[in-house]
Amino acid sequence: MTETTASSRTAMIEVIKVSKSYPPNVTALSDISVSIASGEIFFLIGRSGAGKTTLLKLLCNMERPSNGLIEVAGMNIHQVTGNKLAKLRQKVGVAYQDFRLLTDRTVAENIAISMEVSYKKPQIIRSRVRSLLAQLQLEDKHDILTGDLSRGEQQRVALARAVANSPTLILVDEPTGNLDATSTAQVMELLVRCSKSGATIVIATHDETLYRHSTHRVMKLHNGTIASLTSGNDQGAGATGGGGDEI
Amino acid sequence: MNFWFSVFRQTGRNLRQTWTTQFMTCLTVSLSVLIFSFFYLIYLNMLNAGDKVSDDLRLVVYLEEEPGPEMQEQLRNKITQFDQVQEIKFISKAEAYSRFAEELGDNRDVLTDMPTDFLPASIEVTPLKNLRSLNQIKLFSEYLATLPGSQKVQYGQKWVERFYYFTQLLSIVVLLSGFLLILTATFMVASTIRLTIFGRQEELELLKLVGATNNYIRTPFLLEGVLLGFMGSLLGLASLYTLFQWTLRHFSGAGFLDLFTFTFFPPEIICTIVILSIILCTAGSYASMQKFLRI
Repeated sequence: MTETTASSRTAMIEVIKVSKSYPPNVTALSDISVSIASGEIFFLIGRSGAGKTTLLKLLCNMERPSNGLIEVAGMNIHQVTGNKLAKLRQKVGVAYQDFRLLTDRTVAENIAISMEVSYKKPQIIRSRVRSLLAQLQLEDKHDILTGDLSRGEQQRVALARAVANSPTLILVDEPTGNLDATSTAQVMELLVRCSKSGATIVIATHDETLYRHSTHRVMKLHNGTIASLTSGNDQGAGATGGGGDEI
Repeated sequence: MNFWFSVFRQTGRNLRQTWTTQFMTCLTVSLSVLIFSFFYLIYLNMLNAGDKVSDDLRLVVYLEEEPGPEMQEQLRNKITQFDQVQEIKFISKAEAYSRFAEELGDNRDVLTDMPTDFLPASIEVTPLKNLRSLNQIKLFSEYLATLPGSQKVQYGQKWVERFYYFTQLLSIVVLLSGFLLILTATFMVASTIRLTIFGRQEELELLKLVGATNNYIRTPFLLEGVLLGFMGSLLGLASLYTLFQWTLRHFSGAGFLDLFTFTFFPPEIICTIVILSIILCTAGSYASMQKFLRI
């Protein structure tokens, strides 16, 4: 079931036998293999320290794997350098767990950064920023410094920046950790809209409500290994964690 | 939005955020340029003055006897064997007497009882303008002293020596202040850019993660170096020009300054100083980027 879903479309991400260790001998990920199709929404779950964030960092080339191969859009991202890497990163939007916002800049400036680096026209940037803020109910925060926002607002701004440049791959780390139910729904709506327009979305989360009734694939990590990889349909049938296709 | 628009925006933002540091650096660069160009201006003007002095510079060879036409030709040949000269003029005893009488003016009466041939005959040698170095003049005078029949050679030796020692001292000061300019411009700008990089490390990392190219990140820092060099040198030169004008207004018309025409730098030297300053500041910026910018 899983294989069918993943291979029916072109793979956006190929992770083959990837391991990541930190000195002196901490193994964060061990022998991870997974294929994520273009346009798919993919959930990455597991307890704290399971390796979700490490895997996302490897996928966006913030860190290099100790072993194995990671391909994004057919490119080995850890062999790409210089301008090619920059171009690739423009196509990958990341919402970090710690937000990585520039707290001395306004909300609009923070969101605009990802578009400025790909030389979008100022009027396009302005309109895109306003549209994203409207979708996330943050219109009134346009000129507020991000340092003055609440955690929940900062989280939404980080997400807005990740999707602003219309990337083909969106990596989201704990997107709803600080959000109430309404804001969570808005965030998920935005991500689904991005997916419908062709973006592949990988969401690392603790929040069971996000994936429990979804039809998307869920990969559970445990101590750096894949504990289970369930198809969306299995999830819909209520098979969480070990209830799916075991890898 | 194109590359340069983004880069200028970034540079403007950097300058706004760190304007106090940038301003202090600009002042330091301008002070270095001022010190260097101040001594260089004096040096150039002294060289010009030296040219004028050398216009009047003559070596006078006093002879034991008045040379006949044949002897004059022989002496002329011997003198030009050492180097080309502008002019060789033979002064007879009678001519020397009449010159002296003329110089005495109303006091020429003191010569009434003196014979008209009591002054020695001499040769006045005017060296070429390029014969300016002290060593050459010294060597030339030594050579002239060896001419047959030569008694003594005079050329205002002490004054010329002092003048040339002074210009030599000035050239050392110019070199030292030039060195100071290189050090301050390069190190101050490098240190400012380093501070800016440290202050913006978080932002630079983020820019890298959202796909900014290395040029997008680096160019604003280089541009800051260019701007600091340009503004610093202009400010330094403008201050020097103000000082120059003030000096001319207050000290011209009497005394030492009246002897020479003091001039400011010609445009080509101004351009060279500005370009040199820009290059040094950009080099400082580049060095800091290479060392501290982790992209």
